[in-house]
Amino acid sequence: MNQPAISPRQFMFIVIFFTIGSSILIVPSPIASAAKHDAWVSVLLSILVGASLVLFYILVWKSLKGKSFVQACTFVFGAWLGRLFSFFYLAFLYILSALVLRNIGDFMTTQIIPETPLTFIHLFFLLVVIVGCYLGVESIGRSAEIFMPWMILLFLFLIFSITPQMNMDHLRPFFDSTSKEIIDGSTVMIGTPYLEMVALLMVIPYVKESPKTAHGWFIGSMIGGGFLFLITILSLLVLGSDLTSLNAYPTYNVAEKINIAGFMEGLEIIIAIIWMITIFFKLTVLYYASSVGIAQFLNIDNHRILLLPLGMGMIVLSLVAYPDMAYYENFVADTWLPYAVTHGFLLPLFLWGGLQIKNRAQKNTL
Amino acid sequence: MNIPTMRAVVSAMICLAMLTGCWNSRELDELGIAVATGIDKNDQGEYLITVQVINPSEVATEAPTTRPPVSTYTITGETLFEAFRKLSIKTPRKIYLSQMRLVVIGESLAEDGIMPALDFLYRDHEFRPSYYITVAKNASVENILSVLTPYEKIPANKVMNSIENAESHWGVTTGVHIDTLISKIRSPGEEAVLGGLLLNGEEDVGNRMSNVEQADAPTTLELDETAVFKEDRLAGWLTEKQSLGFNFITGEVSSTIVTHPCENGETSSVELLRSTSSISAEMDGDTPSISVLIEAEGNIGEMNCDISIGEPEGIDQINLALEEEIETIVQSAIVAAQSDFESDIFGFGQAVHRYEKNDWKTLESEWDEVFKDVRVQVDVKAEVRSRGNSSRQIDKKG
Repeated sequence: MNQPAISPRQFMFIVIFFTIGSSILIVPSPIASAAKHDAWVSVLLSILVGASLVLFYILVWKSLKGKSFVQACTFVFGAWLGRLFSFFYLAFLYILSALVLRNIGDFMTTQIIPETPLTFIHLFFLLVVIVGCYLGVESIGRSAEIFMPWMILLFLFLIFSITPQMNMDHLRPFFDSTSKEIIDGSTVMIGTPYLEMVALLMVIPYVKESPKTAHGWFIGSMIGGGFLFLITILSLLVLGSDLTSLNAYPTYNVAEKINIAGFMEGLEIIIAIIWMITIFFKLTVLYYASSVGIAQFLNIDNHRILLLPLGMGMIVLSLVAYPDMAYYENFVADTWLPYAVTHGFLLPLFLWGGLQIKNRAQKNTL
Repeated sequence: MNIPTMRAVVSAMICLAMLTGCWNSRELDELGIAVATGIDKNDQGEYLITVQVINPSEVATEAPTTRPPVSTYTITGETLFEAFRKLSIKTPRKIYLSQMRLVVIGESLAEDGIMPALDFLYRDHEFRPSYYITVAKNASVENILSVLTPYEKIPANKVMNSIENAESHWGVTTGVHIDTLISKIRSPGEEAVLGGLLLNGEEDVGNRMSNVEQADAPTTLELDETAVFKEDRLAGWLTEKQSLGFNFITGEVSSTIVTHPCENGETSSVELLRSTSSISAEMDGDTPSISVLIEAEGNIGEMNCDISIGEPEGIDQINLALEEEIETIVQSAIVAAQSDFESDIFGFGQAVHRYEKNDWKTLESEWDEVFKDVRVQVDVKAEVRSRGNSSRQIDKKG
């Protein structure tokens, strides 16, 4: 079979986008409200936990031996029990995609075009994502390569142009928050994006076999984490921890403060562009993973026929997922972490354990 | 029709349908661009807002007519948002808020507490946070925003430019943006200040075109001293000297003129080019003490003292006089804040938080009381670098 393939480098770019997407706007605020001006410590802590999570995922991937998560479930646990595991995994991916889609809608209607109905924003964004998934993983990988320099340029521009507004005093005194507050803050970023990386176990079979693949995943997630660290510390330095936690989208407010020589103002849209690019890749990867996974779940050869029907469901799901922003914030604070831990950590842990036993049994019979 | 043409037609139609722009596109000629807003409360406790809107045909024209470049509209409402929308019964266009330059808060609202008004200003997505917030000192916001200004056609721009200019060359005023204001009001151990706006002259004259038809406009808008807040309520006004002292402590003075008297009864001025300040705190047992270190650097700007500035000793003498003068200015601001207003506008409480975080936990709740008597040690290091065009005093002796 002529498997489509992307290079480890492209995969690394996808991982970077995946890490930054959606987290860049929604993560700083809850971290700052938990850990105050020590939020950056929380971020470092979550990057550390994220690193070990990624190493764990790489371990799972190694034992998958070229199979995808869903295929491996069936392989290890049999057609019925395996499908049950796959069902939970796919439901996680699908719900996550709907939430990510809703993030875009919420952001657009809060900050940029408040009178446009959510439905249309979701519809048009998802159409682009569906086209991306239709063209397949190779196109996604190549476009990641094209967009990466733009993202980095815009990001550097944001950082350099906001430098005059930074105030070191916003970070002092260091380690003022209790360790419980710092750990509370770090759970936000462990849940989004690191535990969500379990989705990449559906995509990684399409990466060309190379020793660099695991490196790509690890380094990509660390670079992405570095970006999130920068964006959090930038919000703290510019706005202070109080305003960072007060704002729905602090990074956007940071960009609003750019003022170069009195005439370069209103550049906040660059943060919106970074966010659009990164979240596009995150959503495309998630959507691709769910559609390919569902296709394998249903023994369908071509996942493309699923793209449109799944999209219809996703539009509806993204609209009914939560009634308002306050509900969503509570959901992220209380429900998301346990949900992500069970599906992003325990589920692959079971699978990995099963794979170990199965692989050993196979070796013995040979 | 062959297939390629059909494809082209279909894609063209899809593009036509999708690329028409935003959901609710608003053309420029449907928007009234608001540049300044005045907010106050009337006797019934309702918000009273005055909005200054640009008359585009007057601003962007080669041949100006006799109409004023801006119009103001005043209306009342239960909430600010309600009042802004209610404006549409008076204005021909929807008010567009993104180009806002200036918000003027009326004195009675400032005395009642400004936080409820700030909520809308910070929440609404149309505002960009780059406008300045000021307090109207001696006149109603309506009268202040109705004054037509010479030189700069749009009064809101004039005030904004004055604020920026005075901040960088005079050092007495403070331009405050909404996020700084909110975070200062909310943060413990720190209080907010705002710049004041003064109407100089007859109110009835200021809002006529005739006001700007004279070289010496009878009615003008001036920046005034700094308004001191306690929580979100106006506590009082610093004098000009105290405002300068305040800016010295917060390190906001970039350039200013410091004038000091000398033995022969004359005065001399030094042009400060740079000044930095650092505030630190330490605990003496149970009581905190604050030290403020101000470093300033400047040139001799005007020299009428009998000091031989040709000698290093003369320069030292001037340095000393300069240091003393700055210290007096700074002390006057500290005394005013501690005993007149009892409001920690310098953020000394935050300094205690930064340097003595464990003691701050107990001090935080009683900081208002502690601040009144907190000991402040002021150190000034001044350095005169150059003397301008002349190396000697220019006097009659020759």
